[in-house]
Amino acid sequence: MSDAPLSSEPADTLVPVTVLTGFLGAGKTTLLNHILTAEHGRKYAVVINEFGELGVDNDLVVDADEEVFEMNNGCICCTVRGDLIRILGSLMKRRNKFDGIIIETTGLADPAPVAQTFFADEDVRSKTRLDAVVTVVDALNFLQTLKESPEAYQQIAFADVIILNKTDLVDDAQLKAVEDAIRKINAFAPIHKAQKGNVKLTDVMDVGGFDLQRTLSTVPDFLENTHHHHEEDVNSISLTIKTPLDAGRFQMWISALLQEKGADILRTKGILNFEGQPDRFAFQAVHMMADGNSIGPWREGEAKESRLVFIGRNLNRPQLRRGFESCAVS
Amino acid sequence: MSIPSTLRGLIEKRGASHTVEGHITACAASRDNLRFAFTTAEGDVIVAHRADLTEPASWATYAVHDGAALALAPDTDPGGFLTGGDDGRLCRLDRHGEIEELSKTRRWVEHVATHVDAKAAYIASASGKQVELRDGRGETVLKTLEHPSSVTGIVFDSKGKRIAASHYNGASVWFTQPKSESVRPLEWKGSHTGIAIHPGGEALITSMQDNDLHGWRLSDGHNIRMSGYPSKVKSMSFSRTGKWLATSGADVVVMWPFFGGGPMGKPPVELPGMGGALCTRVACNPEQDMLAAGFADGSVILIEPETQRVLPVCLHSGSAVSALAYSPDGCLLGFGTEDGMIGLVDLSAG
Repeated sequence: MSDAPLSSEPADTLVPVTVLTGFLGAGKTTLLNHILTAEHGRKYAVVINEFGELGVDNDLVVDADEEVFEMNNGCICCTVRGDLIRILGSLMKRRNKFDGIIIETTGLADPAPVAQTFFADEDVRSKTRLDAVVTVVDALNFLQTLKESPEAYQQIAFADVIILNKTDLVDDAQLKAVEDAIRKINAFAPIHKAQKGNVKLTDVMDVGGFDLQRTLSTVPDFLENTHHHHEEDVNSISLTIKTPLDAGRFQMWISALLQEKGADILRTKGILNFEGQPDRFAFQAVHMMADGNSIGPWREGEAKESRLVFIGRNLNRPQLRRGFESCAVS
Repeated sequence: MSIPSTLRGLIEKRGASHTVEGHITACAASRDNLRFAFTTAEGDVIVAHRADLTEPASWATYAVHDGAALALAPDTDPGGFLTGGDDGRLCRLDRHGEIEELSKTRRWVEHVATHVDAKAAYIASASGKQVELRDGRGETVLKTLEHPSSVTGIVFDSKGKRIAASHYNGASVWFTQPKSESVRPLEWKGSHTGIAIHPGGEALITSMQDNDLHGWRLSDGHNIRMSGYPSKVKSMSFSRTGKWLATSGADVVVMWPFFGGGPMGKPPVELPGMGGALCTRVACNPEQDMLAAGFADGSVILIEPETQRVLPVCLHSGSAVSALAYSPDGCLLGFGTEDGMIGLVDLSAG
């Protein structure tokens, strides 16, 4: 799935789906129960895995099987969750029973197949939207987990929102070290500190992780000039262009790039200013699977510029910058 | 509601429609051709008796499942139905409207199939990776068939000798006969999402996640590929003689030839469509060379493949046709839509 279909589904009619990831013991289920029992007047359908740590207190709970399979499109990283396609399809027949869907993944799960399911399956795509990948991080054990498990890198890299949980169990120095470690991998996702999963719901639900406005408008500048990490580590790169982009050129470039480097590029997100288009265009990709849609006009006082963020391994900054710049109208 | 006040087509003179709450998940006739059932995502089963065909007010509604009713099959008994649901229950709704729970599991019961002939009667239900094969009463589990991943479809062959299940990376064929434990695995990489078997047992066909069909010639396991669809194929139906496989998934009805060496290397025949709306359901008439097709705009039409003549049953009812079935005698056609419209038409002469 190398081409990036630049569609424009009306985003507001789609059911928002929140994906909860995090290592075993990080506090996913506690956070989930916190979300479900909070006074928000909203109903959620919850998809859990059968190895859940705690019970989930909700009317509509579905067991998932984590059945990952490869799409037959010749692309090895194009894995999706078949069980989710079935479950979401059935849930959408009862659309009136809930306002949103929450999917809890197992601790060791790679979030890529879950996220790719929202790109790869036409039925899932036409009825739901991935609101955000929320990753719960255990402040006490995270640095150790990171040393031992490559999956932890993936979970941080894929996060749109990070909940730094159990902050009461560590001192300020360790908290700082954990935050730094997270930032090295994913420089963009907002980090919310919590104890026993007590986060503000507005930080987790309906954040529109792909309405990247907030995320991308707070891209820290230090990223632009540091290079202290090893190449094989997961890290983030942000690029900005002030000149409007040529939509056709951008599509050609990003398609070719993701086709070639999609195994290393875990996430790509952007808010783009296409020439001749009054609306902002939100672009997102998981590995090689890409999607995008118009997200309304530029806001008052907002700089009409294009921002693109990559999270992945072996990111070649000068090359990416040159490529992105070649998409500008000449 | 976008449903027009009058529906145009055969349904005006020869049938009736009714709107209920919930997405229609399936429809089927009883073996005695006297009743037609519709299942909903609200867990209800609506049963229409042939005698009340044009009086929807007298169609009965039964609250069978807590959560969606996902699967429906005619019961082994001539007048009843079997349903499976989100609540993990396999239920019987008999001719008197009594509901009997045949089993309860933790997983959704997503597929139910039955077979009846002079020698044997079977009930099969799929839940997660397991298929349970029961006797005709449904009280005794004859076999529990384990699969490597979740089962996405089950089908008996026309003689009831074998049952096949689709799943990831292929399909599995089992003998129903109690003494045989062996399975014949048919492998093909990818996610297989539905299954159909040739009436003469010549081929087993699966629909795939990747907008195409896969098949195996059962005599030698030879692979058959049928591709070119713009979307997933969600409905397949073999013609009564087995000459054609009709499928949904395009803006026309796509038919693959299963004669003269099978569909390998041949283009499919395209029957008329509804002017661009995606075909969502197909059903071949079990007694005549006719087929019914349902579309995303809510239209249902009858097509005579030989002449390509089209007879509208119901035009542009609004939401996509999600269920479509003939009665075994080919005289009743039932359909349902995502918005909860159900329709029933009497096609018998006179």
